[in-house]
Amino acid sequence: MSGPLISIDRLTRHYVVGGETVRALDGVSFDIGQGEWVAIVGQSGSGKSTLMNLLGCLDTATSGTYRLNGADVETLSDDALADLRNREIGFVFQTFQLLPRATALANVELPLVYRGLPRRERRALAETALRQVGLANRMHHRPNELSGGQRQRVAIARALVGDPSILLADEPTGNLDSQTGEEIVRLFGELHARGHTLILVTHEPRLAARCPRAIKLMDGRILGDGPGAEVAALQATRAVGT
Amino acid sequence: MTEAARPDRPRRARRGVIRLASETGEGLRIALSALVSNTLRSLLTTLGIVIGVMTVIAIVAIIDGLNQSFATQMGGLGAHTLYVSKWKWIMSGNDWWEQRNRKDMGRAEFEAVSREATLATAVAPFVSLDATLTSGQAELTRVRVRGTNQDYEVANGVTVAAGRFLSPPDVELSRSVMVLGPNLSDKLFPGLPAAEVVGRRLRVMGRPFTVIGVQTRRGRLMGLDLDSEATLPWTTFLRDMGAKRTISLAVTSEPGQGQALEDQLIGILRRVRRVPPGKPDDFSVNRQEQLQRLYHQLTGALYGVAIGVGLITLLVGGIGIMNIMLVSVTERTREIGVRRALGARRRTILLQFLVESSLVSMLGGAVGTALGFLVAWLLALTTPLAAAVTPGAVGLGLGFSAAVGLLFGSWPAWRAANLDPVEALRYE
Ligand SMILES: Nc1ncnc2c1ncn2[C@@H]1O[C@H](COP(=O)(O)OP(=O)(O)OP(=O)(O)O)[C@@H](O)[C@H]1O
Ligand SMILES: [Mg+2]
Repeated sequence: MSGPLISIDRLTRHYVVGGETVRALDGVSFDIGQGEWVAIVGQSGSGKSTLMNLLGCLDTATSGTYRLNGADVETLSDDALADLRNREIGFVFQTFQLLPRATALANVELPLVYRGLPRRERRALAETALRQVGLANRMHHRPNELSGGQRQRVAIARALVGDPSILLADEPTGNLDSQTGEEIVRLFGELHARGHTLILVTHEPRLAARCPRAIKLMDGRILGDGPGAEVAALQATRAVGT
Repeated sequence: MTEAARPDRPRRARRGVIRLASETGEGLRIALSALVSNTLRSLLTTLGIVIGVMTVIAIVAIIDGLNQSFATQMGGLGAHTLYVSKWKWIMSGNDWWEQRNRKDMGRAEFEAVSREATLATAVAPFVSLDATLTSGQAELTRVRVRGTNQDYEVANGVTVAAGRFLSPPDVELSRSVMVLGPNLSDKLFPGLPAAEVVGRRLRVMGRPFTVIGVQTRRGRLMGLDLDSEATLPWTTFLRDMGAKRTISLAVTSEPGQGQALEDQLIGILRRVRRVPPGKPDDFSVNRQEQLQRLYHQLTGALYGVAIGVGLITLLVGGIGIMNIMLVSVTERTREIGVRRALGARRRTILLQFLVESSLVSMLGGAVGTALGFLVAWLLALTTPLAAAVTPGAVGLGLGFSAAVGLLFGSWPAWRAANLDPVEALRYE
């Protein structure tokens, strides 16, 4: 398996709303290698979520190419995309998106159900994942019996459990207080150190600055792509400039 | 590529099976937890199904009950017996007015048939009325009292549990003897076994009679209690209870000779009753088949009602299911988005909601089946109708409701499966 993990080329995503075309993404190209930790930053409406949905194979581009692990995502069927999400992508959402009636353990097992693993194997893997995020003693709690930080940890365990190629997080700290957010960021740091590939959307320059690499979007185009501290600073100077 | 794929195939097949099994299990689990957390709503939703299935099951149980007692009766009665009477069993239009004016049948007809019907194996005259029976302990009003002869035993499939049936001397000598149905025996001589009832005395319309036999239990026929009959020699009947009554004849042939016997009987009777050539018969030859046909028409109509009522209420119930499933899909839009993001295929979501809708519907079907049998049982207790629980009816109730769930759940499930994952995740 040579070449980058993710390779996108002139990717666009247009929405037609009331006869008018919104260029949510307008020709974006970059590569992300195995084991990278990349922040995607930009103002509200700049196209971050749109990009994440494309990278996560939840949505398909209007034009351009997306190669994930050497596979051409554009050509895949709906079922194949579902399987690809199941194997290659781990999602962490801003609003956690846990199933309210299921226990932490059952939530974490879910991707493995769709992978067709036998029950016992699912159990064991889910327990390991929950232990990794420090929730060994909360496995049988339901989401409403957990704190915000704990819920996000369950969501991260669910994203990790299937050992995906990429962890995609859209504003994972957006619904948490700063201290809990810091815990989650530290957890991401650990995962990065263990070799996971992480892509996270954030609007916090401080968080972006801590990532080895950041990509800044503006109006659906790339404004900057480089070391986190620099791109975050770029954001800062522009903020001063305007 | 093919080389690599080959050893992989059994494993992939196995995974597919596990995946399907665990997805169905997951679907069941989700459906159950959705049901539990919305118990009241689920119950209200399934009310249509409950009522529909209840109606169908109650009617089917009653038909099954009728079938069972009818079959018993028909088995008991001689299938080759012809019943000659002034009355036609199944009348239509103004038959009744025409038949009322027919000449009564009497001894002359019986004697002619006994003498001349060479194809007959048994000829039993019978005549009946409702009378009051009294024993030392009890008085029974409106008891069906029948006068006949020894051949009635063969012609009508009667058997005795104790004692004996009427004998030729009983008839010739017009003895005051009587054979009782088991229900009469129980009521007139409470607590006495059949064997001890034989030899007891009782009174009919004030006249003394001796019990010579007790019949075996036969059950009910279309609401008719066949175990509450009192049988005595017809000669005694005509002497004590009025000679002016019209009699009927039960005539039996060898198997396969029914039609020939009928022709022979018609010939004899037309002559004895002096029916001019060209005029229609002034009597009727009835067969059990006619009763059977009437019975099948009746149950057929009942089935029609059951199907009609069932379909309408199940349609209403199905629309209820569809409605609640659409609500459920909307409520769980984000959950569907999450599942899709985690790797659920469209058909996985489809399966999940189909499992849920058929489970809801089957729950209603199960409740409806239970209530239906309860209704049928109550009807059987309070009316002359019978009721029977058959596995077929239970299967019908559950299968029907599952089918309704699948049918009406498919549109909501299809909608759920085709939600756009991004939109679904963003849904507030
Ligand atoms: N389904 C849609 N239909 C039409 N326009 C859309 C749709 N989704 C996004 N857009 C538009 O695309 C642009 C980019 O949206 P996107 O959600 O990617 O922004 P974002 O960078 O994630 O913003 P935020 O930081 O507020 O989450 C916006 O102008 C938005 O209005
Ligand atoms: Mg966004």
